[in-house]
Amino acid sequence: MPTEFTDGIGIVMREILVKGELLTLIYFFAVNGWYLVLLVSAALEMRRHVLLITDESRHLLLGSTLSPGISILAPAYNEEATIEGSLRALLALQYPALEVIVISDGSKDRTIQVLVEKFDLVPVKTIYERRIKTKPVRDLYRSATYPGLVVVDKENGGKADALNVGLSFARSELICAMDADTLIEGDGLQRMVRPFLHFPDVVATGGTIRVVNGSEVHFGRIIKARVPSNALAGIQVVEYLRAFLFGRLGWNRLGGNLIISGAFGLFRKESVLAAGGYLHDTVGEDMELVIRLKRLSYERGGPGRIAFVPDPVAWTEVPESLKTLGRQRDRWHRGLADVLWRHRGMFLNPRYGVTGVFVFPYFVFVELLAPVIEAAGLIAIAVGLIFGRLDWTFVLLFYLTAYGLGTALTAYTLVLEDLSFHRYETFRDRWLLFCWALLENLGYRQITVYWRLRGLWKFLRGRKDWGVMERKGFAVPVSGTTGRSSVKAGST
Amino acid sequence: MIPQSVVNGIMIGEAALLVLSLLLFFSHGVWLHFHQRSQEKLLADAREGLTRLLSRSTVDPEEVEGLKSVPRSVQVAVFLAISPSVGGTRKERLRFLAAEIGLIERAKGFCQSRRWGRRLRGARILARLDVSDPVVERLLRDPHPAVRAQAAEWGAAQPTIPVVLELLNMLADPATLARFAVQNALFRVGTIAIDPLARFLAEHDGDPAEAGLKVAEALAGTRFLPAGVRFSTSSDPALRTSAANLLGAIGDASGASRLLQMLSDPIPDVRAAAARGLGRMRHWQAASPLAAGLRDPAWRVRREAGLALRAVGAPGVLLLRRAVKGSDAFAADMAQLVLDLPATAG
Repeated sequence: MPTEFTDGIGIVMREILVKGELLTLIYFFAVNGWYLVLLVSAALEMRRHVLLITDESRHLLLGSTLSPGISILAPAYNEEATIEGSLRALLALQYPALEVIVISDGSKDRTIQVLVEKFDLVPVKTIYERRIKTKPVRDLYRSATYPGLVVVDKENGGKADALNVGLSFARSELICAMDADTLIEGDGLQRMVRPFLHFPDVVATGGTIRVVNGSEVHFGRIIKARVPSNALAGIQVVEYLRAFLFGRLGWNRLGGNLIISGAFGLFRKESVLAAGGYLHDTVGEDMELVIRLKRLSYERGGPGRIAFVPDPVAWTEVPESLKTLGRQRDRWHRGLADVLWRHRGMFLNPRYGVTGVFVFPYFVFVELLAPVIEAAGLIAIAVGLIFGRLDWTFVLLFYLTAYGLGTALTAYTLVLEDLSFHRYETFRDRWLLFCWALLENLGYRQITVYWRLRGLWKFLRGRKDWGVMERKGFAVPVSGTTGRSSVKAGST
Repeated sequence: MIPQSVVNGIMIGEAALLVLSLLLFFSHGVWLHFHQRSQEKLLADAREGLTRLLSRSTVDPEEVEGLKSVPRSVQVAVFLAISPSVGGTRKERLRFLAAEIGLIERAKGFCQSRRWGRRLRGARILARLDVSDPVVERLLRDPHPAVRAQAAEWGAAQPTIPVVLELLNMLADPATLARFAVQNALFRVGTIAIDPLARFLAEHDGDPAEAGLKVAEALAGTRFLPAGVRFSTSSDPALRTSAANLLGAIGDASGASRLLQMLSDPIPDVRAAAARGLGRMRHWQAASPLAAGLRDPAWRVRREAGLALRAVGAPGVLLLRRAVKGSDAFAADMAQLVLDLPATAG
């Protein structure tokens, strides 16, 4: 029998729940409203971009001998099985002034031996201009066959350390930081260099990274882009499209890009060196560098534009197991928290212009705290429903606001991709994309909330480990083929 | 509580948004599917027709009519695809056919549009077809940098003196894209650009001169020697560096004496460029000063000096070997590194 006391608690509880839910609703309205602005901005930017590239004879202008040189920095750790294919694909990239620097980050397998055998490497005196403090370099190799190839064997120090070593060896004006397993489109560098030619103050450019899982790969090149039938990989295809084509492209027009994927980014070398290179003690070293470049441009008054190229320039393999994906997302969120904390001085600080007053708070309230608010809303709903203190109308409204509008915006991102690049050609792919976009909110997004919260928790506890990324790979030849490396990514 | 009508309204709104996106997504897919299929057929037929017209000695009016009847987008695609593969009389025939079917008139119309996107498209079509027309020349002064850059690309294939002079003026363009396109165009223009560029370099300074020096370096004509010598004493280190690169590219003996003097420039980049230039010229007489460069405090100067010593041949290699056994550890290390490098590596 309910007493006056329990009734009183019930009323207070209901009030708290309703007020809390209302706040969450307002938050989601604001966030989705902003997303709508980003979508419009992305559409306008895409239109401008399509106008610029239609019928462009890129090989004449961007393949010119006067183009700025690019040094590709490819860190490798225990890549014995895939390094030959990856490196041959890099050496075959269409760019006139290209240098490739492979940095073996203390590999314990035969990575170096494979490189020596396959690329005609000879050891040379291990001296270099050490412009950033790094772990010691053990050996240095040059190729007798490929003039632009440099291989560095160093003690293990992590990706950031490997990239810093690569920076010391790079001789070109621009450096391209990438993961050893990233597949770059043949003309990807020509596309990525475009912003450096458009604007004198560009310090870094990022391009659209796509998911390779399920696609047909041949000698390190995408032959046919396909949407994976694996739900986890498929939903990530949708996530990547949304993040790049609507998030980063939208921000590009508004001047608020703060992220360049560690999988593939192009930087002005002198700006990176002046900033001190990559930080070692963070798991979000790629975002940290970009924010530092931006911050220093305000503090020192130099160039600081971060540009984004919507063209699909590179492909990466995404995890197909919950465990690996969870580790990745946990690390990404830890990285985000760490980077925002390191640069907290920019928060709402007018000294840093639009970045400080607008972009940085966006990253704090929308990117960083979203899982906290979303989790609070979900828990409150569960509690309210269990104790009968919330009605279904409210729950429905919450779901529609939190997820429904998001799904619609995602669907429009797919439309944007289809109208611009339409890399996914078949009806099967379209149908799958749409299904994954709808399914994303039914469980997947809620799991990512948990992973991101776990990342936040680990950040608060000071954890900085990377975890192990398991990949299925896409460089292993299909059995029965006669030495032709043609495979379906993620399916081997 | 929230009224049911609000919830219903939101539900209907979101459902409508989703359905609309679904419709857009799939209807575009359907359209694309059929469009691509029909386009493929049209493209193949048009390509075949155009190839026939280009290979015959006479033009069949019926076939021209046939080409005229295909959609504009197909015409553009076929003409632009074939254009880079033909030259001489066939290119002239291609332009004639493009004019016959109205493609050139249409592109000229685009060039006069108020919308930059259209002007860009017009300039692109005319550039790819190598059509000489004042309407594109006017676009060299277009307010949009992408259009100016495209017009500059067009200018590379139309190297008349007025166009080259206009391109030279654009070396001072505030937009980096246009400036880069101009440099590239002047490089592609080649020998015709040498005299005007040499005069330009004699009269200009600062950023335009630096942009011009890069082109001059790529063209490497002896007419640029006075410019190289003049800028080698500039107060701007960037210009001195460019001048050293230019002198090295030209390879003239009088340039070598300037480069030898530049080995003692206070700026490391200039010294490095001078050493690189001497190596490029294979100026063996510079071996001793270059060997001294192995002891330079700046890494990049030591490196360029070492590479230059290797490039000058036997005297340089001898000095490198001596440096390995010498007392200066920095010089010894660099000399060893250079001697270790495979012949192909720089």
